[in-house]
Amino acid sequence: MKKMMFVLMLCIIASPLVLFAAGTKDAKATGPIELTIWTHEDVNRKAIEEKYIKEFEAQNPNIKVKYVVYPSTEIHKVIQAGFAAKNGPDIFNLEIQKAYPFLAEGFVAPVDLASAGYKSHNEILNSYMAGMLDPVTVDGKVYGLPLELTNWAIYLNKKIFRDAGLDANKDYPKTWEEVMTVSEKIVKRDGSIITRRGFDFRYGDYLISWLPMVEQLGGKLISDDGKTAIVNKDAWVKVLQYMADFGPNGKNLGSPTYTAARKVFDNDNNEIAMHLSGLYQEQRMASANPDFFNSDDWMVIPYPTFAGGKQVPNTYYGHYYMVNSQVSKERQQAAWKLVSFMLSHGEEYLEKVALVQPTNTLFNSATFKNMPFSKVFKDELEIAPVVYYGEASQQINDLIKEAIESVMLNKVAPARAVDTLQTKVQEVLDN
Amino acid sequence: MKLKAKPSYEQKKARWGWIFVSPGIVFFSIFSFFPILNAFWTSLLNKKLVSLKKANFVGLTNYIKILTNYDFWNSMKATLVFTVGCFIPLVIIGLVLAIFIHSRKRFNRSLQLVYYSPAVLSSVVAALIWFLMLQPTGLLNQTLNTLFSTSGVDYKWLASGPMVRLSTIIVYFWKYIGYFAILYITGIGKIPTAIYEAATIDGANGWNQFKLITIPLLKPTTLMVSIMAMIQCLKTFSTQYLFTQSGAPSAPINVITLNIYNTAMRDNNLSRASVMSVILFLIMLLLTIVQFKTSKSDDVSF
Repeated sequence: MKKMMFVLMLCIIASPLVLFAAGTKDAKATGPIELTIWTHEDVNRKAIEEKYIKEFEAQNPNIKVKYVVYPSTEIHKVIQAGFAAKNGPDIFNLEIQKAYPFLAEGFVAPVDLASAGYKSHNEILNSYMAGMLDPVTVDGKVYGLPLELTNWAIYLNKKIFRDAGLDANKDYPKTWEEVMTVSEKIVKRDGSIITRRGFDFRYGDYLISWLPMVEQLGGKLISDDGKTAIVNKDAWVKVLQYMADFGPNGKNLGSPTYTAARKVFDNDNNEIAMHLSGLYQEQRMASANPDFFNSDDWMVIPYPTFAGGKQVPNTYYGHYYMVNSQVSKERQQAAWKLVSFMLSHGEEYLEKVALVQPTNTLFNSATFKNMPFSKVFKDELEIAPVVYYGEASQQINDLIKEAIESVMLNKVAPARAVDTLQTKVQEVLDN
Repeated sequence: MKLKAKPSYEQKKARWGWIFVSPGIVFFSIFSFFPILNAFWTSLLNKKLVSLKKANFVGLTNYIKILTNYDFWNSMKATLVFTVGCFIPLVIIGLVLAIFIHSRKRFNRSLQLVYYSPAVLSSVVAALIWFLMLQPTGLLNQTLNTLFSTSGVDYKWLASGPMVRLSTIIVYFWKYIGYFAILYITGIGKIPTAIYEAATIDGANGWNQFKLITIPLLKPTTLMVSIMAMIQCLKTFSTQYLFTQSGAPSAPINVITLNIYNTAMRDNNLSRASVMSVILFLIMLLLTIVQFKTSKSDDVSF
């Protein structure tokens, strides 16, 4: 009896091992293919993509599509968890610096030429502006098709400038030093609590929006040979000192703990005069506050440069639609067919969502040219570097975040913060 | 031919016992036992969270890396500060609150319900509510400025290291104080009223009754509450996660669970995350053993 119970117990305890060891495999398709797309939230884009999906399903009755939207801050983790559990989506899109690790680990399938309507990978490369597919091209094969190519510039509220006695067209800041002085003129506080900000940073996305400041002063994240982290420490120290001066323990002009600047700018509620965002923000503004969007009270200005520094604009990054390499060939083909179908509506993406696919046709189209301040974004893009992407880009981004927070909020000396950052990023590189 | 002996009553009872406990064992095996074993095994490999490559056995390398890592010790410190800062008020104020509620003739149940209600709220929702209140323009700064007749003082609830630590402690304390007070109330309710009646006849005043009857007879409950609170505090995650995602500095509140999450999800290093999980598990196991040992020696019978 005891022996029997012992065996029974062993079986019960071992059962999960057997259950989990089996994993989740791609089931053989026996009926219609059901594709899943995981993407980040964007109300305007969701509306048109759901419309495309309906059209696609009507044209392809054997394919059903499940379109799932996640908050922008969570999508990366959700996709990561999905792949870790061998249950990733068929199609997904992320900013390249977040998507690249999946590509490097082999989770992304190359574009299926026939399904996507191309004859060769070269034909795909030639369909887009030069270099735009570099981050997703490995050994001549393309692994992602671009939904959007984004760079950020500064949105400016002219009303707030006027209220502070400034003329936005003349007094808009061209240098980071001017960003500080203009912000000092605009900022309003109740005691030490800021009630109106001049400019505030886009905290969190430091590889995109903050690293160029370091590069303007001659600094680099990683040396050209890829072996040394944090090149030209003086440049890093200067920019971190700038952040310390800007933050609550310095001139108290902004802080990561206030509501994100881009979330309050569109309200036009006298809360913030300048913030960083992409062209896509225009459509969001148009939806959230059409009166403000249609007024002459806002403008877009280029990313500032440090006085005497190199002209390095905000980096650009791409959102590429990618297909899971771990699903069957049949599903991959269906997925690329759908991606290609959706992306064939480039003009509508631009018109309705303000997302620009990096094709010459689109950049030269009347739709693009007629969008307010699109020239500012285009001029910046022509000289912008691509965002740093690598297997550990997100980890490095968070280490920079830690360094910035330490000087802005915890009064750590910038030189010490750079030393710590260098040690940690070097460790990441060495591993 | 040998006849099969009929099972005795005891054997039948044991068999039914096993049948009744087996669903629990299956549940435990799937959701606790397997992940524990799996985490231990993973800690000995060089496994990435998302990778198609086969993980190799690396022995104790990950343990050495973690134990010599500054961030790990910073997390241990953050966890210790949070645990001590949270569980002491939970245990002491929980007891005071329980006595207060228990002594009420009216609204006893309503008060229990009110104090317990934050415990049923999702941790993320609780953290979000508090995050909004702790912002520079939030309710907490406004309230304190009104109370102290000051104008525009920013207490930097989310912006300075010590304050962000305090903020996480406040959120957790608010969420769980009612829960632990209810546990105390249950313990107080078990103390026979005859003991208090006898003490009253002997001339003991309220304070003496509390000091000489309630406190000693509540020892097992106090022990259980303190260990439970401590273990609960060691597992804290949501508040720290939400605060750091929303701009608060991460180093002061990078508790071990948050470090585990970031190491696995952000750094893609499942093995090192598993090492920290194993260490956390061992700490909690040790505390549980202490609880069992001490509660046996301190058993109180009425």
